[in-house]
Amino acid sequence: MISGSFRLKTLSGERETLHTGSFQIVTNNPLVADSLSGRYRVCFLKNGSDREVMVKVRDLIHRRHRLLTAPLSGSVKPWETPYRSIMVSSDPCSAVDATSLDLIERAMEVINRSHNYLKTTKPSIDHDFQIVDLSLIESALPSAEAIGRI
Amino acid sequence: MSTYRIVHYINQFFGQIGGEEQAHIPAEKRPGPVGPGLAFKQHFGGEAEIVATIICGDSWFNENLDLAKKTVLEMVREEAPDLFIAGPAFNAGRYGVACGTISDAVKTELGIPSLTGMYEENPGADMFRTKVLTVATSNSAAGMRKAVPAMAKLALKLLKGERVGASAEDGYLPDGVRRNFFEKKRGSARAIDMLLKKLSDKPFETEYPMPSFDRVPPMPAIKDITRATIAIVTSGGIVPKGNPDHIESSSASKYGSYNIEGVNDLTSESYETAHGGYDPVYANKDADRVIPVDVLRQYEKEGKIGKLHNWFYTTVGNGTAVASAKKYADEIAEKLISHEVDAVILTST
Amino acid sequence: MKLELGYIDIRGIRFGDHNAVEEGILVVNPEPLLKPVLEDPLIKTAHFEIAAPGESIRITPVKDVIEPRVKVEGKGGVFPGMVSKVDTVGSGKTNVLRGMAVVTAGPIVGFQEGIIDMTGVGADYTPFSQLHNLVLVMEPVEGFVQREYEKAARLAGLRTAAAIGELARNLTPDETVVYETPTIAETFSEELKNLPRVGYVMMLQSQGLLHDTYVYGVDAKRTLSTLIGATEVMDGAIVSGNCVSACDKNTTYHHQNNPVIHDLLAVHGQSINFVGVIITNENVYLDDKIRSSDWTAKMAQYLSLDAAIVSQEGFGNPDTDLIMNCTKLEKQGIRTVIITDEYAGQDGRSQSLADADALANAVVTGGNANELIILPRMDRVIGTLGYVDKIAGGHAGSLQPDGSIQAELQVITGATNEMGFNRLSAR
Repeated sequence: MISGSFRLKTLSGERETLHTGSFQIVTNNPLVADSLSGRYRVCFLKNGSDREVMVKVRDLIHRRHRLLTAPLSGSVKPWETPYRSIMVSSDPCSAVDATSLDLIERAMEVINRSHNYLKTTKPSIDHDFQIVDLSLIESALPSAEAIGRI
Repeated sequence: MSTYRIVHYINQFFGQIGGEEQAHIPAEKRPGPVGPGLAFKQHFGGEAEIVATIICGDSWFNENLDLAKKTVLEMVREEAPDLFIAGPAFNAGRYGVACGTISDAVKTELGIPSLTGMYEENPGADMFRTKVLTVATSNSAAGMRKAVPAMAKLALKLLKGERVGASAEDGYLPDGVRRNFFEKKRGSARAIDMLLKKLSDKPFETEYPMPSFDRVPPMPAIKDITRATIAIVTSGGIVPKGNPDHIESSSASKYGSYNIEGVNDLTSESYETAHGGYDPVYANKDADRVIPVDVLRQYEKEGKIGKLHNWFYTTVGNGTAVASAKKYADEIAEKLISHEVDAVILTST
Repeated sequence: MKLELGYIDIRGIRFGDHNAVEEGILVVNPEPLLKPVLEDPLIKTAHFEIAAPGESIRITPVKDVIEPRVKVEGKGGVFPGMVSKVDTVGSGKTNVLRGMAVVTAGPIVGFQEGIIDMTGVGADYTPFSQLHNLVLVMEPVEGFVQREYEKAARLAGLRTAAAIGELARNLTPDETVVYETPTIAETFSEELKNLPRVGYVMMLQSQGLLHDTYVYGVDAKRTLSTLIGATEVMDGAIVSGNCVSACDKNTTYHHQNNPVIHDLLAVHGQSINFVGVIITNENVYLDDKIRSSDWTAKMAQYLSLDAAIVSQEGFGNPDTDLIMNCTKLEKQGIRTVIITDEYAGQDGRSQSLADADALANAVVTGGNANELIILPRMDRVIGTLGYVDKIAGGHAGSLQPDGSIQAELQVITGATNEMGFNRLSAR
């Protein structure tokens, strides 16, 4: 895998490039932590809310990490599922990525308002929400890894 | 079934008292319908009646806002109506603002359902359409014939407690609440119709107007801040003591430009805030808290910045219409450019 | 490409001792149809039920809705790459059992959703209340793996629809309609060259379990944006593997009867020149979104489009794909109309989309999926109501003691469809 992500040395100096480095997954889903921790870097917020996952990701973005997956993944509505997993670059870029920041802020707006009106979760279906969340983040793995395998 | 009771608010012109020269008259109440109220009567079909009409001069209402509100509210309260109607105001600005203000007040303070009508570009529409149902009318009184039936229909719905349809169905200005309804055509056909209009540069109406973010692409960073001229612009209402230009405490109609040449610190003796939307105590004590003249002067002295621009520009953001704010910004920007200012610190409160 | 669709109108379904279509009535003998379904080791039970328009019946939880069709002439078979072998479809003759559908129902995950009411208020919101539905109700074996069971249930539905469609192979259609799409060269012909060149960008949900769409059997998330013939879509080249988001997922029936394609073909050669269909995915990975929307815009430019209609599927991150597609097209000067739906909250006051851009100035909406609705009690439930409390838009206590359901519109299958299948809108 290519290291030193995001910066490409050219004759005219360094410039930003695509993400070719390693990534981490921020999650509050224990199934994601169990299933992916061995192979990938997972930041597990045990008993954390979906909002806390987003806040953690937002903080990383402010520390110049780049968002790699859509924070509102899936059509399971944010006011139904308690689980959320988001992929972020392991290494910081040279500047805060505006697109990442924009996306996470918009997603947090949706999350913030959605908690006001619905609570559909029942313990009996908890595991199913975990499975779907795992599947959503797994769907990004081939894309995230493909670049490094060139 | 008893008839529903309605109180109707109109201005001096529609009250047949007079034009602009009579705009100063205070509110007065007359029994039964007057002017457009007579047209309403036809469309209520005996189900509702206007029991009283309040006629009020537009200038009097807008220049004595608190008193006017209090007076009219009391007049409405006395009648204990089932519904309150104001206007339609078409494109008359002060009339529209009065209609919006008073119907909002009747609704929130007396708990009586209210309804008004005006042209979409009336400043009153901008201010009140999300608070009071506002029937869309044309821009002149020539539209009365269309406005009255639409308002009467919605009035009867409100009176009977029926579900209000979507804005497109019931003919009111979008009020920020999304309501479902069945269109005549399915979505794909509507998309093609819209596309054909868009292609031929004909006007088309989007079914969901995007929230306007009005994003401004950031300017490139200042290369050398130690040589830059920095200006201060604020919506926090800081003005020289006494507010020489009388910038209003809300819905500001102007902005001020004030020279701070030689001023190193804003003191309570010489500066204050005109802003009516926040507790002014700390800003009045030390206006540097809103616009940091003291720190910037110090930076200027230390060579951290090139220069603090000798004028600052100020208005009150409190309730000021976006369109007005934009107009002030355009003018201020012109001045900044002509003074070769490199960067601006924009403060709000 | 030229495809002839022979419509055979179905006016009723009944059980019998053989399988046939007789004078507009579908006669179903369940045993031979269920046998292959039950051969799948993941499917514990399966049975059929019948629901006709106007009956007091509630079907839930619905997975997919499929229109039975059969390839009579021309290459390939229905649902290529899924049921039939991979071969390009979209030309020749296909017979359609119109007015009916095979509906798959039964639990997959605990929050499985989708209600079809055959009468009452709810029936107004779903197009499937107007169809004679043959409902295949299935249950998984204990300890099943969701991903594998979703596939089993998906294939069971498609295969059953194909088997039913087969009954129409030798029937004489009640109506025949010919759909013809031009080649690129033909779009520059004398009669078409002065009409605005319009394309259709169809977004396919592609995010993982319960969110997938298949094109000729290929999982759409592993594709780049590409071109597909309008008639290929009619022949079942695209099928749904999507189980969540009942109101705005595109069922297989929606793909087979894609309203944008249908309505564009209807005005092709008159007011517009319908040049082609671009399919593009809605992936989780952001670089995929950028790449897919870049390709969409690039292909639109390659086709020299003047205008495009973009349809969406799902909510949340697909809004990002939608806005990317729209803005990239608009920036190339391609006039764009987008079709979406809204999540504006139960009070209708929240922002409707998770993304927005001023360039998206022509929007058709399928309505606010959060709007509350009360569905009256039905005499009969096909499937199970046990899931109603948990389905999207339902909420704890949504199933009332009297059997009525208070829920958001999003529980209803196809209610706010983003292909523009319905008349529902919002302002």
